[in-house]
Amino acid sequence: MSQITRRDLIKLFGAGAAASTGLLGASKQAYAKSSAHIVIVGGGIGGAAFAKYMRLANADVKITMIEPNPQYTFCPGSNEILSGHETLENLTVNYNTLKSRFNIDVVQDIATEINYEGHQISTIRSGQISYDKLVVSPGPDFDYQFVDGYDAELAEGDFPHAWKAGPQTLKLKQQIDSMRQGGTMVISAPSNPYRCPPAPYERASFIANMLKQSNPTAKLLILDSKTSYVFQNHFEHYWKQHHNFGQENARIEWVSAKKGGTVIKLDAAEKIVTTVGGEKIKADVINIIPEEKAGRFAIANGLALGKNWVPYEPKTFASKVHPDVYVIGDTVDAPMPKTGYVASNQAKVVAAAINDLLAGKEPGTPFITNNCVAMAGEDYGMTITATFRYTGETKGKGFLTQVRTSKISENPSVNRIRAEVAKNWQRTFRKDMFS
Amino acid sequence: MKQTVIATLLATAFAVAAPSAIAAEGGKKKLTQEQIDKVVQSQPMPTGKMLADNCSACHGTLGAEFNEAMPPLAGMKKENFIKLMKAFRANAFPTIVMHDVAYVFTDTEIEAMADYFAAQKAEEWTRPDFKGEGK
Repeated sequence: MSQITRRDLIKLFGAGAAASTGLLGASKQAYAKSSAHIVIVGGGIGGAAFAKYMRLANADVKITMIEPNPQYTFCPGSNEILSGHETLENLTVNYNTLKSRFNIDVVQDIATEINYEGHQISTIRSGQISYDKLVVSPGPDFDYQFVDGYDAELAEGDFPHAWKAGPQTLKLKQQIDSMRQGGTMVISAPSNPYRCPPAPYERASFIANMLKQSNPTAKLLILDSKTSYVFQNHFEHYWKQHHNFGQENARIEWVSAKKGGTVIKLDAAEKIVTTVGGEKIKADVINIIPEEKAGRFAIANGLALGKNWVPYEPKTFASKVHPDVYVIGDTVDAPMPKTGYVASNQAKVVAAAINDLLAGKEPGTPFITNNCVAMAGEDYGMTITATFRYTGETKGKGFLTQVRTSKISENPSVNRIRAEVAKNWQRTFRKDMFS
Repeated sequence: MKQTVIATLLATAFAVAAPSAIAAEGGKKKLTQEQIDKVVQSQPMPTGKMLADNCSACHGTLGAEFNEAMPPLAGMKKENFIKLMKAFRANAFPTIVMHDVAYVFTDTEIEAMADYFAAQKAEEWTRPDFKGEGK
């Protein structure tokens, strides 16, 4: 990737300024349907949902997806791998259905550079690919600079973050499984925003449930860079019942950022983490979940306008850099949690908007929900329902949010049914992208 | 000159991206129904498809996933859909999560979704050869 020059920047911001004046000349974009070529960067949840829903909306457009991997492993459900309730194989899908049923051209390659003016994207092996519309869905990138001594190499080695389901998940499981009796595990939870807000606590919960059986005197310490988190009442309710949470002999302990929980340093050789309060904690297993920012591809191509996350036009998720380049998923600076659920619904908004624009119509009003689930154990689920309504405001991020979370229940059947709803959601959700 | 242009454009770009004041995260700042209605009425209603495609993560693509926990919506009779959604909205029908989903929708939005699902084929979406069923 070449450096972006000052001239390029002017070009980018110039185009961005033009884009922010509104979707001018929608009718000019009414290509003959058959000639429109839509290219997607990234075959994760956002990219796959977009490809499928674009095809459902329009049988004629040509759709190409650029994705480096031959298969995709879902993150939802991957915490359960750590406790042995799920396998990587079950969470892994391939692109065969997208290719055969939806006629998506899946190019196994790495996209590098966007030529905004020329409507072309460079790839490592397949050369230049021309597009009429480009949808960028690269997922987040990890930002290691906040923990001194931690980096991508250590994450691939003895300190897996396992925040993208795959080999690191298995490595972390193996470390937990082979921990000495009465050992200590540390989970460092990042500050907001990051992928799947309840997942560090869900992870801690599944691990603690397993340790209760296999290593009952072990301790799990969550060192948090936040002062509170989603579903906190649910997790604490469950941990009090199962892990003596809040007592001297608790299996799980949570240290808020307010109490100095933020981890700032890792001594990999000695397996010691240092918190912002100066406390040094030696642990047998250390799981640092790094801070995040927009995907490298988005940042390298100037889409983030120098920020950590990508600004966007709320009605269509068009980028601020060029109106024919759209950005969806965790990489976007939307006032929405970074979940696969949200990414898939943003993808549907963009598919509908592009279909309208190709037909010479003004895009309709977007509507996005995040009706999501988490689990504290196989017998305890919880739900959150969030609705994001488009406000039409030019200031701010363009959406009004309404949120409800499930109420604490002392009825074990209710908690169990919620867990079944969560598991059912995982299955159906995978099919909604890839079947 | 060039620097001035960059500075101005940066300022514009960042002003547009400033965080919104309209948010009710986790009930920290509750919106009044009046505030919500005002936003809903300020925009054309989302299409039935736009609304209904939000259901697919649980009920399947086009509402056509026939599984044990969440019922399929594809091919559902319009009156039944409307009656159920309104009962969920009023919290008048026992449910695990649907009361917390349905409360945001207006009557006309519920009708638009009902029309959309009534028009879908009641036929399992996922083909038998699909890999990724999970446990």
